[in-house]
Amino acid sequence: MNLVKIRIIISLLVFTLFLFLFWGGEKLSVFLSSTLLPFQFVPALIRILTKPAALFVFGFVLIIIVSLIFGRVYCSFLCPLGSLQDIIIALSGKIGWRRKHSFQKPHNWLRYCVLGLTIVTAAMGSMSFLNLLDPYSLAGRMITQFVQPLFVWIYNTAVSLMKNFNIYLFSKETAYLPTYVWLVTLGFFILILIMSVRYGRLYCNTLCPVGTLLGLISRVSLLKFGIDQIRCYECVRCEGVCKAGCIDPQTAIIDQSRCVNCFNCLAACPQSVISYSPSLNKTGQSDWSAARRGFLIGSVAAAGSALFMFNSNIRNLLGTAHASQSPPITPPGSVSLAHLTQSCSACHLCVSACPTKVITPSFLEYGIGGLLQPLMNYSKSFCDYECTVCGRVCPTGAILPLSLEEKKFTQIGTVDLLKEKCVVYVDKNNCGACGEVCPTHTISFIDKGNVLYPETDIQYCIGCGACEKACPTTPKSIVVRPNLVHKKAARYIAKTFPVQQKKAPQKDFPF
Amino acid sequence: MTSTQKTDRREFLKKGLSLGLVAGGAVILGRTDFLQAKETAATIPDLVAVKNGEPDAMFKKAMSLMGGMGQFVKKGQTVVVKPNIGFPRKPEVGATTNPLLIKTIIESCYQAGAKKVYVFDNVVMPTSGNSQNCYKISGIEDAAKAAGGIIIPVDDFSYKQVIIPGAKTLKTAEIHRLILDSNVFINVPVLKHHSSTHLSIAMKNMMGIVKNRMEYHLSGLDQCIADFCLYKKPSLNIVDAYRVLMSHGPAGPRDGTAPNVELKKTLLMSRDIVAVDAAATRIFGKNPEDIEYIKIAHQQKTGNMNLKELKIVTYSM
Repeated sequence: MNLVKIRIIISLLVFTLFLFLFWGGEKLSVFLSSTLLPFQFVPALIRILTKPAALFVFGFVLIIIVSLIFGRVYCSFLCPLGSLQDIIIALSGKIGWRRKHSFQKPHNWLRYCVLGLTIVTAAMGSMSFLNLLDPYSLAGRMITQFVQPLFVWIYNTAVSLMKNFNIYLFSKETAYLPTYVWLVTLGFFILILIMSVRYGRLYCNTLCPVGTLLGLISRVSLLKFGIDQIRCYECVRCEGVCKAGCIDPQTAIIDQSRCVNCFNCLAACPQSVISYSPSLNKTGQSDWSAARRGFLIGSVAAAGSALFMFNSNIRNLLGTAHASQSPPITPPGSVSLAHLTQSCSACHLCVSACPTKVITPSFLEYGIGGLLQPLMNYSKSFCDYECTVCGRVCPTGAILPLSLEEKKFTQIGTVDLLKEKCVVYVDKNNCGACGEVCPTHTISFIDKGNVLYPETDIQYCIGCGACEKACPTTPKSIVVRPNLVHKKAARYIAKTFPVQQKKAPQKDFPF
Repeated sequence: MTSTQKTDRREFLKKGLSLGLVAGGAVILGRTDFLQAKETAATIPDLVAVKNGEPDAMFKKAMSLMGGMGQFVKKGQTVVVKPNIGFPRKPEVGATTNPLLIKTIIESCYQAGAKKVYVFDNVVMPTSGNSQNCYKISGIEDAAKAAGGIIIPVDDFSYKQVIIPGAKTLKTAEIHRLILDSNVFINVPVLKHHSSTHLSIAMKNMMGIVKNRMEYHLSGLDQCIADFCLYKKPSLNIVDAYRVLMSHGPAGPRDGTAPNVELKKTLLMSRDIVAVDAAATRIFGKNPEDIEYIKIAHQQKTGNMNLKELKIVTYSM
């Protein structure tokens, strides 16, 4: 079996697992998140910076070591966006949209500037540049926003068909996706579609910060591709199969920094003049002066950012959420608004996995610095008291895992009962929708003239939004106000009641 | 065995005692078919109350006093059994209908010749994850399946809007199609405390077949509960008062606290939804006059809350 076949099998397998990660249900999602995502570059890196875990450190170090030895195998084997592009490229070849790849000049200024900007903005507290471009998160958003609704639709159609055979199953719900968020992802999908159909892996060599960074590493990797100029008779078949467009047949140079290790050229060469072997000297490498300049920019940016990295004042500079009038409520486990906005890569795995679909991607609610990061949308749903899924699937540590006991006392916000709007106070009619669903005894009722008036005691409130969702008035009479830093709710202690049994005489009926 | 009755002694002597004896005898002999064949509508009591037994035994007893399931379910009919499964609570909390009772009712329906028996409730927190939890945790899913009942999940596609004649506030309602399409509807509420209507019994349980429940809350819960019963009266109401949640209703206490439950070990059965609610209110220890929706329903002539005017058969096991 040749390397190309191995690559195709592994990458398709990983890609399939990604689909299950986003759609496999609670158990499978949690399992795949903990096994698959330590080996994704950006989640692993953020996780190491926020809350290091052994497997994530191992995964990150492994990616670096593998890149130092083999080059950018990550891009062709593990990256879900890379696999998606390969699938598009293969399909577009099949239906005849595209014939052959050809050599492209590197866009060094662009790619090193993008990398530099990404690092600088992330270091200064705005994840949005990184989040928009990170291949894992981008793939995650595409799966959440395009693949997941399709799967849910197919599943629900099957469920409604099954009814005819007296098999009743619970239908599934799609996540609520605001139009702007959907359009951003659609825009990126169209961009990637055009780029990959026309220019192969151009995204990976211009806009992708991970690709550019791994490209820098693979410049000095142990194993390199090379062309034996003496035996080569310039059939240019290798150029035609090179998705990265990094083989220049005229100079017989393969640009190692842009090569995504698809191994197509090895298989295509009829004379086996292309070698993939250890080479410690730098000959045979592209020697673009622009690349050097770019490398310099990137290095300076990275070094500068490192200085700012742990300075929280500067990190907050671009995290404009604090200035916002009504900041969003963040999922339980996200510690604080600052913690979430500075460690979330907006992959939307929590959006997909949330069983009540209360987690919604934001657009500008967190400000420009927190584009697309998740928030609790109580106009659509509420946070299930007995659920901790979001923290368990989050790979970056933006939403930290909570035990169920911890979650039940994590106060992400508190309710505000607006008596001037509440129907019980206004119309003097019983309602009580809020109290029925409150899981924490925050809401109690006072009987005045046979009408039950709601009252709140917010020390017990965890801000789950069940009451806000249930409230029948428009606008809502009970709303959750965020805790910018999550707090701990008090434990409600009710009078304990022993189970009583009335030992009544035989004929004792009260009528 | 003893059967007592308060309304009309002569009437009782003629019909009630003979019914009770026949019913009891039939149960002992296991010949319910014989009982059903003999029964006529005129002899059916307005309300049957049984106490001090297990849920299944009390149901069987009450049903025999009522004239047998054959009175309500005919051969080949489809039946909907509507318990209260509104909250993800274990049976011990008393927030949901007793699963053993549901199982026994389904079995009884099949014995009477029912073609299909469906079990359905719209849960209070309407999300897919939660309703699954409610069905499971309440023990009703397993109990219903064991008896051959078909559990129907909540979804938004199966509702139909109907006009409620004579309604004061709730003039239209979206009802689950299953209720409209089935021959028999058996309402099986649990008696429990309720934070916003004082008590939740049979009439309140009817909210679980309606989609636009928020309209109730918005425009006056008590009036809407009474209004809806103008449209749809169940074929039979069976109130589970075995384990009665006395406070923290309708959901019961949350984590870490023991539910305030009283073992009343009582079961009520009636075709009159207002009468059964009034009787259950008495069992709970309250006065039906104080429960607004019972009063309204009585005034709207949905049923009779004056228990003294009714033919009641009681039995203590």
